[in-house]
Amino acid sequence: MVSKRAAKLVAIGVIVAGTLVAESRKEYHFAVGPRAGVSVMNPYGSISVKPSLNNTVVVNAVLHSDKVEVDNNQNGNRVDIQSHLLAGADSDSGRVDYEVLVPADASISLHSSTGSMRAEKLHGDVSLEGPGAAVDVRDISDAHVHVKTMNGAVNLDNIQNGHVEVDSLSGEVTLRGVNGPLVQVVSTSGKINYIGDFGNGGEYRLTSHSGDIDATIPEWTSADVTARSVRGEVHDDIPLQPKNHTWFPIDKGRAFAGTMGRVAVSSTVVLRTFSGKIHLRKRSEKQ
Amino acid sequence: MNCVELQQSLAEVEDGSSVEQRVHLRTCPACSALLNELNLIVGAASQLRGADEPSPRVWTAIEFALRQEGLIHAQPARRPLVSSFSARWGVARWLVPAAAMLLLALGIYVRHESLPNQLAEHASETVPVANPSDLDDADLMQEVADNAPAMKTQYEENLRQVNESIRDAQGVVDESPNDEDARRSLMDAYQQKSMLFEMAMDRSLP
Repeated sequence: MVSKRAAKLVAIGVIVAGTLVAESRKEYHFAVGPRAGVSVMNPYGSISVKPSLNNTVVVNAVLHSDKVEVDNNQNGNRVDIQSHLLAGADSDSGRVDYEVLVPADASISLHSSTGSMRAEKLHGDVSLEGPGAAVDVRDISDAHVHVKTMNGAVNLDNIQNGHVEVDSLSGEVTLRGVNGPLVQVVSTSGKINYIGDFGNGGEYRLTSHSGDIDATIPEWTSADVTARSVRGEVHDDIPLQPKNHTWFPIDKGRAFAGTMGRVAVSSTVVLRTFSGKIHLRKRSEKQ
Repeated sequence: MNCVELQQSLAEVEDGSSVEQRVHLRTCPACSALLNELNLIVGAASQLRGADEPSPRVWTAIEFALRQEGLIHAQPARRPLVSSFSARWGVARWLVPAAAMLLLALGIYVRHESLPNQLAEHASETVPVANPSDLDDADLMQEVADNAPAMKTQYEENLRQVNESIRDAQGVVDESPNDEDARRSLMDAYQQKSMLFEMAMDRSLP
């Protein structure tokens, strides 16, 4: 009995030791100028990007085995980082987790197939793409934010004055405090949640083929809202001034269109789904 | 003033009307032709803007691409690219690459815009249920099987859903060919399928 237990402990110890031996850390530093470009391509593993304190790009990489290397290249004001899979690498042994610090005005482009991608506190353009990647972007201002995923969940939080475009096939997309001249989400089957006030004078298009669309807004929002579900239902908790003309017939229960708040600063809001439900909710004081 | 100096000066004096510019233009057919072409592009662009405004997505994609390439930078006071494009010669130095990208984007847009009409015209033709677009789903799945077998099921499911969305959107367009909203839905559905292909073919990913 004792020997079995001892054998188990030894086996676990060997596995842990093996993992620790195989795992390695690398750190790279690059001096860049204003508005640098930083690209990270990582087939397996996470990427997290935060602002640095000066004009330096710092890349911390945790490599999970010796079957993957980090290729790095600086060309002028552009830094490219890529995980280079060696023969026999799989999703475990090929995994690299990155923590990257960039100047806040840098433009970043991140690719990951399965890991999570996170960017925060930047005011340069942000582009994140990956089939199964979960995406979290927060505290971005005055920038383009482009996200493309297949089934990864997308969370955007506090994006101010952004040109935001999210394309997701089946992942759930949540926007909280996101505004700007253009905010667009297109999904095939994923649910879309919007919590915010639709800003001033922007264009907001939330579209999902079969996913539900939930927009929660304060009563004082100024917006010109059109909502339509071809085969599903629409619900509106906020009274709107009806519009006279629309592209399509207003079929009660399946569509509504109207304005709320001050016309001079109102945003254009289009909520559209084929078979999902649309719900325009009034935000409670607690939210 | 030589040709290089003239082209540089167009960023400052937009219409070639300064004394130095006029002197050079009188003696240089190449620069005169360039100026005419630039005028033509600006004129055509302003007409396009009035006649057939592309989706804001097209403009934002162009701006994003130019910024990613480092050709333009964010301005403190933001204005839509449409306005800056129509501002005559202030952007002269960007007209050639911008025009090339614009034509490319417009081509894609017009193709997408005409697609619903084509579909409506050919509504009576049989459309294969399993493959409602010209894109070959079998190739996509083969690509996924070769490069990312672990994600095959996810791709299959998403492909099924996006094909369904194309069929549904197409059905609405067939019922109401003048429904702008429905046409846009169809375009979105095709773009989603295009994105799925892009992801599967992306060599940088497993």
